[in-house]
Amino acid sequence: MRLGWQTRLHVWFRLLFLQASWSYQRMQGLGFLFALLPGLRKIYSEEQMREVSLRHAGYFNTHPYLAPLVVGAVLKLEEERAIHGEDRSIDIDDFKEIVAAPYAAIGDALFWGGLRPLVAGITLFFAVKGIVWAPLIFLLVFNLFPFWFRIVFFEYGYRHGIKSVAYIQEHNLPDWAVRIKEAAVVVLGGLCAFMVFSHLLDHQLPSWPGLLALVPMILLGVGARRGMSTLLLIFITCTIIIVAGIFWIDVALFLKL
Amino acid sequence: MILELLIGGVIALVCGLDRVAMLQILVSRPIVAAPVTGLLLGEPLIGLQVGVMVELLWLARLPVGAAVPPDDTQVAIAATVLSITLGHQLEALSVELMLLSLLVALLVGKVGQYFDHCARNYNSILPVQTDRALENGLFGRAQLLHLRGLLSFSAAALLTYFTIVTCGLLLIPPIWPWLQISMSYSAGLLQLALPLIGVAVILGTINVSRAITLFCASFGMAFLLMWLVQP
Repeated sequence: MRLGWQTRLHVWFRLLFLQASWSYQRMQGLGFLFALLPGLRKIYSEEQMREVSLRHAGYFNTHPYLAPLVVGAVLKLEEERAIHGEDRSIDIDDFKEIVAAPYAAIGDALFWGGLRPLVAGITLFFAVKGIVWAPLIFLLVFNLFPFWFRIVFFEYGYRHGIKSVAYIQEHNLPDWAVRIKEAAVVVLGGLCAFMVFSHLLDHQLPSWPGLLALVPMILLGVGARRGMSTLLLIFITCTIIIVAGIFWIDVALFLKL
Repeated sequence: MILELLIGGVIALVCGLDRVAMLQILVSRPIVAAPVTGLLLGEPLIGLQVGVMVELLWLARLPVGAAVPPDDTQVAIAATVLSITLGHQLEALSVELMLLSLLVALLVGKVGQYFDHCARNYNSILPVQTDRALENGLFGRAQLLHLRGLLSFSAAALLTYFTIVTCGLLLIPPIWPWLQISMSYSAGLLQLALPLIGVAVILGTINVSRAITLFCASFGMAFLLMWLVQP
């Protein structure tokens, strides 16, 4: 039997709670089962459900925005298995295991490593200008892509089952991740220039020394690359600035500024 | 003051759940969470400023696999609440007090990772109980056990938020008179430095060949263009 749209919608909504019980032991395993249950109930009898549920409650971990593709495909495979009996050529557990790690890597690079800094950079231009709607811009622009992936990929996974893997290959997502990251670096460069320039302008200082801001930034970047924690970099920099502020008072008093 | 802290607590709870456990529509990002907190407490611009400073700091730390990044969500919310609450209490609703609140929140916020780690450890008992429920055919119970995980993430979010706020309320009022003047001299530079540190960390850790070249070219070009068009 083919699952109705209400059941698929139910499964999709449950995917929004995929990580509710995230644990070191099984990561998203219970969430995966939680999402699948409405579909499995339509496919299997109560007796068969025990064995199938236990199978799906095991370890599972992928990117939450690409998990709908896996869940959709697994639903399709379970449906086919229930209709045609055991199909040894496609082991559902193996399929989950094989796709989870590559999808996680693609999702992490694309969404967390690429899209998030890019949209954050764009939003900060508005925020620095004092536009209070900036958070809304962030939410709208960022969520456009993940929700497209979450909805379309789920449906595609359900319709094409194991062949959905080809969909990822066709879209060349790893290449997109690199391009988005490069765009993010360019946007962040423009944002930093804008912030430095605005700061100098606000304090009526000459603008050309602003180009020198690149030197400490690259030094801090090298520190981060060598494993220095962000918190340490923050406190070193802030301590220098605050101590300089304290001495600046003495200098100002001495010079009667 | 209690009402302000409670409003902050509600936002901390919702955003804390969005961060890992449900939805993940990124209302938990500091650039969203802090301005919303500011808006609900009547000072949206303070929230926006906190959001700008915190957003980029840990953006390079990806929530990959079992890695637990620092809890920038609770840092941003708590810093906004502290700035506004103490601003009213000390009659100093200023950028300087906001920066001091943020620095204290950044330091104390480290506990967020510990609480998050505890929540994930606590959730490790759920799979065992779920297996038992499934073996007995109790599918409803298995689903409830999954949703029970939300409680541990809620507890972690609230504990982080209240720890930061409590430490801030105890620490800031006594040190504020000592640091007020020096903060007034360094406020502008600190406000600029924090996002730049975040970007520097992103540059140092992003997996893009020629990231420094792209960044410097973009920075230089934008800077020169602004210099050319300035009146």
